[in-house]
Amino acid sequence: MEELINKLKEEIIDVLNLEGMKPEDIDENAPLFGEGLGLDSIDALELIVLMEKEYGIKLKNANEGKEIFKSVRVMAEYIHEHKTK
Amino acid sequence: MRNKHCIYQESHSIVSPLGIGSLENFEAIAAGNSRLRLYPDHWGIPEPFFASLFDENTAFLHRVSRQGKALSRVESIAITAAEQAIEQAGIDASAEEVLFVLSTTKGNVELLAEPHCDDPSAVYLWHSAQMIAGHFGNPNTPIVVSNACISGCAAQLTAFNMLQYSDKYKHIVVIGAEVLSKFIISGFQSFKALSPERCKPFDANRCGLNLGEAAAAIVYGRCENPDTLPNDTIILEAGAICNDANHISGPSRTGEGLLRAIHRTTEGFDTKRIAFINAHGTATLYNDDMESVAINRAGLQDIPVNSLKGYYGHTLGAAGVMEVILSSIALQKHRILPSMGSENPGTANPLNVCLQRSTTDGDAFLKLISGFGGSNAALLFSLKQEKQVTGDRLQVTDDKKRGSNSWEQIAKYHLTPALCKLSPNIDEQLTQQYRHIGINYPKFFKMDRLCKAGFLGAEVLLKDLIDDEKKNDDWGIILMNSASSLDNDRRFQQTIAEDNYFPSPSIFVYTLANIVTGEIAIRHKIGGETSFYVMPELDEELMTELIVQSFNANPQLTHILCGWVNVDSEECEVRMWLYRRGDAHCVSSGRREVDIV
Repeated sequence: MEELINKLKEEIIDVLNLEGMKPEDIDENAPLFGEGLGLDSIDALELIVLMEKEYGIKLKNANEGKEIFKSVRVMAEYIHEHKTK
Repeated sequence: MRNKHCIYQESHSIVSPLGIGSLENFEAIAAGNSRLRLYPDHWGIPEPFFASLFDENTAFLHRVSRQGKALSRVESIAITAAEQAIEQAGIDASAEEVLFVLSTTKGNVELLAEPHCDDPSAVYLWHSAQMIAGHFGNPNTPIVVSNACISGCAAQLTAFNMLQYSDKYKHIVVIGAEVLSKFIISGFQSFKALSPERCKPFDANRCGLNLGEAAAAIVYGRCENPDTLPNDTIILEAGAICNDANHISGPSRTGEGLLRAIHRTTEGFDTKRIAFINAHGTATLYNDDMESVAINRAGLQDIPVNSLKGYYGHTLGAAGVMEVILSSIALQKHRILPSMGSENPGTANPLNVCLQRSTTDGDAFLKLISGFGGSNAALLFSLKQEKQVTGDRLQVTDDKKRGSNSWEQIAKYHLTPALCKLSPNIDEQLTQQYRHIGINYPKFFKMDRLCKAGFLGAEVLLKDLIDDEKKNDDWGIILMNSASSLDNDRRFQQTIAEDNYFPSPSIFVYTLANIVTGEIAIRHKIGGETSFYVMPELDEELMTELIVQSFNANPQLTHILCGWVNVDSEECEVRMWLYRRGDAHCVSSGRREVDIV
């Protein structure tokens, strides 16, 4: 799980263009949206693409993301459970 | 109260999957017809989508110009619509007194999927406009308005201002045209914005929009005395564009920009005369809620509201033109078209959504439209009647009330291709400039290169001149370029390759040239007019004309940030100027020239 969390942090920094951030700057238990990394609705949509592209997980409804993107840890757990590639 | 001339519709035409002709289209939708349907497997798009598309075999989709050149789909339908409107108006389209204004968001973007295109310039929006105006032998450089979804209304406002404040033209042919492709559909799918069934504008259970293809054309003319016009002529009374300065894709929750556009458009007009509001009504959760908030805040919530998206879907660059035509005919027939798809209205604030066919005694209608880049527009139309009640609006306001129309250039910023080439690539150059300025704005790194370039120009130019802490509703932004968003369009195209199909929403949102005006508006809280024009090369005379007209049309505007921001392949050029109204309050003065290397 820790390996997946670190990989995920790197992927998030890359696809969301979080300039100047390193994986260790992201607290895996902190909220991704709102206060945490200050991400917005377009970032959430990009995370949906990331899940599909890298892990073969397809979310039909953007609202499902709300629960999954609570924190990097929650996201990693979801991916671990549902990944198809 | 501010109009010198009366600007009116001389003729119009619609070309849609429902048929050719304004009246034919009106009658078709009045009978409840629509070509919206499910496309389970189309254009190689993996997911099904619901849309209103032309039949590929339709003859008018594949035309040849009078000069013998093969025309693209979007050019073909635009010419078909314009041809009919020009013929009905009885004008000579090859005369110098006629100007063409084209509204489109993506033009020939589908050509990006064809790497071996015969003419590489065919994908440029100005090229399509030239093909269209050239077909009619028109000698003037056509203007392209590319302001995302508000383009159709913005183009009519450009025509209005040109006719109102310039003597150059007597007739302006406004054309809105859009065709769909894998590019556009996949982008909206990545945004999770599309409804899997017929869209339901303003409905409590609405779940997204449908897209559609169409072209529409209106010939606008001007006269000194509206009494000379035939009864039932549709007069364009006023209009305004305002920016939310809130988010590049999400509408303001408080309807800020739209509310201001409504206020500026209806100022001094008896709103009891408004028969109906033809809203944008895309059937997305946020758009329809935002419109309901703005309409309520404007105190217009009792006026019947309709949306025509349930018949045609959202036809993007054509929407503002086509919906004005259909609403104009409805007004002439004293009818209000029902909002197809709406059953059980439910928006943030209550609206009087028109669900059934109904009649009206009103003699005016309000058109609303909003789009990406935070832009909103409102247009007000009235019906010429026996006794012209609009007389009180058709006086020239004296200059004291209007504010001085003299203006001066107070600052400029040039980032020339020569400067850019000092660095091995544009990305590096732009990042260097950002670091040099020494600001902390993480969102910069999410922008496409066009936005980065425009953002940096504005940053340098407005430093110390603008108060970022307060709202700057009396500032406007007018930008133009040659490549629109092509630099980023090419990037998005790479995300929809057949063997690696993962359309990126964060790239797609920047496939509209006017997003750069939105980014600057957000950064500096600029809430006045934001507009984007496309032309083959910087035409300083035209730019000056657009600035003067904008100052003329918007008495509250004190400053306009204008310029040329172009990014194309590995070339980047930024030339920006700041103008202020002569007698207006200015936070600072003096001339500033900045070059950063």
